Amino acid sequence: MNNDWLMKNTFHYSEFMDISRLVEVKKQKNLSISLCLPTLNEEKTIAKEIIIMKSELMTLYPLLDEIVVIDSGSTDKTLEVAKAFGADVFEADQILPELEKFRGKGENLWKALYVTKGDIIVYLDADIKNIHHRFAYGLIGPLLMTENIKYSKAFYDRPIAIGKNKVRPTGGGRVTELVIRPLFSLFFPELTQIIQPLSGEYAGFRELFEKIPFPIGYGIETSMILDICEKWGLDVIGQVDLERRVHRNQDTKALGKMSFVILKTFLDRIKKLEFIDLKKETFNEMIQYNLVKNEFKPDIFNVDGLERPPIIEIPEYREKFNIRP
Amino acid sequence: MDNYLDQLPAFIETIASIKETILTNIVLIGQVPSPTFKEKKRAQVFLDRLAEFQVDECTTDGYRNPIGVIRGTSGAKAPIFVVAHLDTFFGKDIDHNFKVDKNLITGPGIADNSVSVGVLLSLPEIFRRLDLRFESDIVIAGVIQSIGKGNLRGIRHLVKTWSTPIRGAVCIEGAELGRLSYYSDGMIRCEVDCIISTIDGWEKKFRPNAILVLNEVINRIMELRLPQRPRCRVIIGKVTGGFKHGIIPYNATLGFEIQGVSDKMVKSVYRDIKDLVEGVSHEFEVELNLKTISNLSAARLKYNHPLVKSAVAVMEKLELKPISSPSESELSIFLANKIPAITLGITHGEDYHQPDTHIEIEPIFKGIAQIIGVLMAIDRGVCDE
Repeated sequence: MNNDWLMKNTFHYSEFMDISRLVEVKKQKNLSISLCLPTLNEEKTIAKEIIIMKSELMTLYPLLDEIVVIDSGSTDKTLEVAKAFGADVFEADQILPELEKFRGKGENLWKALYVTKGDIIVYLDADIKNIHHRFAYGLIGPLLMTENIKYSKAFYDRPIAIGKNKVRPTGGGRVTELVIRPLFSLFFPELTQIIQPLSGEYAGFRELFEKIPFPIGYGIETSMILDICEKWGLDVIGQVDLERRVHRNQDTKALGKMSFVILKTFLDRIKKLEFIDLKKETFNEMIQYNLVKNEFKPDIFNVDGLERPPIIEIPEYREKFNIRP
Repeated sequence: MDNYLDQLPAFIETIASIKETILTNIVLIGQVPSPTFKEKKRAQVFLDRLAEFQVDECTTDGYRNPIGVIRGTSGAKAPIFVVAHLDTFFGKDIDHNFKVDKNLITGPGIADNSVSVGVLLSLPEIFRRLDLRFESDIVIAGVIQSIGKGNLRGIRHLVKTWSTPIRGAVCIEGAELGRLSYYSDGMIRCEVDCIISTIDGWEKKFRPNAILVLNEVINRIMELRLPQRPRCRVIIGKVTGGFKHGIIPYNATLGFEIQGVSDKMVKSVYRDIKDLVEGVSHEFEVELNLKTISNLSAARLKYNHPLVKSAVAVMEKLELKPISSPSESELSIFLANKIPAITLGITHGEDYHQPDTHIEIEPIFKGIAQIIGVLMAIDRGVCDE
């Protein structure tokens, strides 16, 4: 396998550190940019993300035109804090309320397309402990400064926070290395050049996002890469080294659930692409076991594998963005 | 003269209007670990941020203190310094990622002294928003190697090697808003190491206990008769040593400071302590090493010094109650070099030296207005007499 793409389409955020230049190009191209932060109980990190992005990429350099928080039912102070620091805050359920309601990150990202105004949308997870504005301008850089790249994806060193105050310098990315990379190697070897396909930070042009379906949960990152690649080719994808990202460590059981969803999304996609022919439908339940009072009790996690269609197919969206049939 | 005082309350709102920028500076600088002697990375971020705000000159002095200079309108007036120390008590292995809440910032080193450094970095933008120009150059300095064994080396070097006279200085500390320090006590900071020899072999079960030996040193220090005038005191601040509950410790360290308004008295108490440490060493047949790790001379401005009076007027205008207290920090170096200076606090905080210390956001804006008021006073000549 040749690794041309890796050489050509991999960037380092420092290549885009001249933010005033990005602002200039954005103006020349007459583009607007929205930052979307999907949240669910992120009161510990959300304020920091908003103030840094607002200060650096709105007040000092007008690179972002809006910061939008889409929440899927936080029970902590996420909404209150986000509003206090001036973000536009939406509850996912209140967006397109006539549609059936779902909960999940993918759902938030999909609905963000309806409420944001930007030609470019930057999606950042809201649990980044070491947030820095490079997370946004680094992803925006390739979209503005190259002609071919329409979707940019982050990769990092991923130290994980252990205990209350200690940081372990390496780790993370277990689902990537144990699940997604083996699958890509089996079916789409060219996609293994994407260093961290599951990273939660990416940016792209609305014209792409609106034309692809969004799984409502964890499968969104996998499906997005597969769909974009299938529709427009690998060359429209870029990846950016954002260096360090400190995130919460998840236990193995939680990663097991995440892996289940990703596997399901992946199987659905390769089935559609007729790469495989399953003789039997897969099940929707991930079954794990807990030892309770010396007895093994099943812990069942249900995944329907639901997906939102490309939002361009939704009449309300077409009307809002004045898209003719 | 009163004219500038009248502007101060309105400044608070303008300062608060760039809340995000101020908080971003506090977070971005505070999240870079900066234990004493390892401030290089924070110093670089400090310079990068100053350059980002287009400060006229961004550089480091010969000791690697990062400095920004905002050029004044006069060209002839001596510069005014605003300083905060860059180092904190927390090591690099501590998670320095801060939590920002509606009115709190939580994280190691935030109160001492990351909030001040963030405020320092925000001053150029605040001056711009307030449309303020000063006759003097304003020198913004983040000084390194300040606390503990750093012994104020950064500020000592900066003041000693600065090529022009210095008109006046404001030192910033994170907490507490309302503090007004215009004098520093004489101080000698010492450590006593007790080391019990292990040469006799592991089988010696009843060797002296290093912690108990230091306990004896503490008891004898407590027996010293310290004068009320000139005021002098000994603070027993730190004890470390031992391994586990059932093992007799064979090394331990005691940290203490002698503080007083008279250098002569501080030295006299130091000599007494030196004698008693030698006595304990002799009586217990153990090795006790008394080390001086830092010292300062007593220096002060009088309460009726125009700088102090102006600072009080500024604080009262902002409805702050000035509380005077000594400061054994950058202030003492300015005062020892006959440069009028004061130390001011920025906000309210709790548990200053715990990893989960926090500070309040809202009072910061008033804390900044207070600093600007004092800078305006110095620029109008209160230190020039």
